Amino acid sequence: MMSLTFLLIDDDEIERLKFARVLDKNDYPHKIIEAKNGEEALDVLAQKDQQPDIIFLDLNMPKMNGLEFLKELKSNTSLQYIPVIILSTSNNHQDLKEAYEIGAAGYIVKPLKYEEYTHKIKCLIEYWSVNELLKI
Amino acid sequence: MGSDDIQILKRAIQREKLARKQAEKILEDKSRELYLISQELKETNEKLEDQVDKKESELQGVFDNLLDAYVRMDIFGNVLEMNHAARNLFGYDIKKEKLNVVKLIYKEDYQYAMTSFQELVTKGSFSNYQARVYTKENGVRTVHINASLIYDKNKTPIGAQGIVTDITEELKQKQIFEEQKKQLSVIVENSSLGIALSQFGKILQTNKAFQNLLGYTQEELLQMEIKDISLKDEYAVSASYMEKMNTGKIDSFSINRRYVKRNKSTFWAKTNVTAVRGPDRNIKYMVALVEDITEQLKVEKQRDQLVKNLEKTNQELKDYAHIVSHDLKSPLRSINALVNWIKEDHIDTLDKTGVHHFNMIENTLEKMETLINDILSYSSVSNKENLQTKEIDLNILIEDIKNIILIPNHIEVSIKNKLPVINGDVTRIQQLFQNLIGNAVIYTDKKIGKIEIDHEDKRTYHLFIIKDNGIGIKKEHHDKIFRMFQSVGDNENSSGIGLAIVKKIIDLYEGDIWLESELGKGTTFYFTLKK
Repeated sequence: MMSLTFLLIDDDEIERLKFARVLDKNDYPHKIIEAKNGEEALDVLAQKDQQPDIIFLDLNMPKMNGLEFLKELKSNTSLQYIPVIILSTSNNHQDLKEAYEIGAAGYIVKPLKYEEYTHKIKCLIEYWSVNELLKI
Repeated sequence: MGSDDIQILKRAIQREKLARKQAEKILEDKSRELYLISQELKETNEKLEDQVDKKESELQGVFDNLLDAYVRMDIFGNVLEMNHAARNLFGYDIKKEKLNVVKLIYKEDYQYAMTSFQELVTKGSFSNYQARVYTKENGVRTVHINASLIYDKNKTPIGAQGIVTDITEELKQKQIFEEQKKQLSVIVENSSLGIALSQFGKILQTNKAFQNLLGYTQEELLQMEIKDISLKDEYAVSASYMEKMNTGKIDSFSINRRYVKRNKSTFWAKTNVTAVRGPDRNIKYMVALVEDITEQLKVEKQRDQLVKNLEKTNQELKDYAHIVSHDLKSPLRSINALVNWIKEDHIDTLDKTGVHHFNMIENTLEKMETLINDILSYSSVSNKENLQTKEIDLNILIEDIKNIILIPNHIEVSIKNKLPVINGDVTRIQQLFQNLIGNAVIYTDKKIGKIEIDHEDKRTYHLFIIKDNGIGIKKEHHDKIFRMFQSVGDNENSSGIGLAIVKKIIDLYEGDIWLESELGKGTTFYFTLKK
């Protein structure tokens, strides 16, 4: 499996731990860069040396929320092709619609049960591992 | 006697003869003349008589055809002549019976009649005498009389004649008209609406309310024009409507406009203007009904502000429910992950009780999540923003629900009569049926559970019936169950919000829900949805 770099944007520490644990337990060769909110993520992206292949984005965050970050990203010509998958608590129709309108590549509702979460993330990673990604 | 004498005599005789002859001739001539004259006189006389006869019959014709009654009497009041109209009016026929006018005088008008008669005698005539008279059948009519005396050639009065007009009906009509006029003016005067009648922009009539609204007296207003009580720029709007009315395009219009009071202050009024047209369709008058809406506008403004505030508060509440729900869910997820990690990482050191307790934590978390989800959906039921109306085949929807909720093998969910295709929001309609069927499933205690869904088309609405053979619901709980957090069962998976959501969805579709239930035998829910 080729090694990918993920940018995980979530303000909740345990959510970040959960994601890391899935990678760890399954021996995925991928690398995670973490950011606590949209602002931090933009800082990360500003450093050209570590561009992520995929971004996992929480919606409900302080400072700059997920959708605001997504808008920012999609208006940046050098970043707009990075696929962004939303990881959200909300299955609210409005959020879903807005996310896809702005250009999200996927939308995952975080389940209560940890096993379900593990299953979803594994599926996601395996799906994106076999995709061809556009590098600029 | 000499021959001379004879000769003289002869000549004398001769002369005499001649003279007589001449006299005879004159006589003859005169008598012929006389004859001719007498003949002429005779003819003239006949002609005169003829003419008098003719005039008399003409006059008779006039009297008889006169629409008003004509009565002639002698100086004692004995009626000598009545025309057709008079006979009809009084009911007497003087050819058959004698009649004295005194008999006709209405008792209460006697004095007045006598005074008028006196006037007739002294002045020779009276006019515009109005009094009541008796008819033969004891009816009372009101009449109007013009009368004059008749004299002989010696200027001695020998009788009187009069034209009698029956004005009873006219008076009655007049009375009715007056009565109606009075009624109308009472209405107009007491109307809380200001009313003004105008012609070519000039004020012709106003009521009290109108005067009060504007602070002018009636007399002042009658000297004024509509534009005197209008604001210059607003009058243009009225004027354009007036133009449309003048050209016959419209007969009335209603506008909100301002009026200028006597003290130069203005007020807002709703004004209805209606044209009163003559037979030629031209406008004769305009009637304006003016209602002071200053207060109303103020109240409306306040109401608008309130509605706005309410909308804002509602939106805030919705957002609040949304955010709180999601914020509450996050820690649950974290706890669940942590519990799982402990179980995974320390499986060797945990004993059976420890694992059991961790499982109980997980169950509690699930319950909490259900509760939060229910609150979330309850708060979003009436949110019109995400309402998407589509055609829904309920037969398919019920099949879907059967797959979503876990239905144990001993429970059968069936559709009695084929369900209709309705218009509605899929999410909500599904939630409605899912909650009701789900409840029926949860509260089934029989060996073979039966849940039956039925439908009746009630023209303007759909009636749905969901019948189960479960544990039943006590009568005193029938209202309570539709309220928030009012779970009356002891089921662990019940949040007490399910039926509150059901009620709210039914409210959204202007329907109603009620139930019949017998403890131990089962419950039947009925609900309606407006088409």
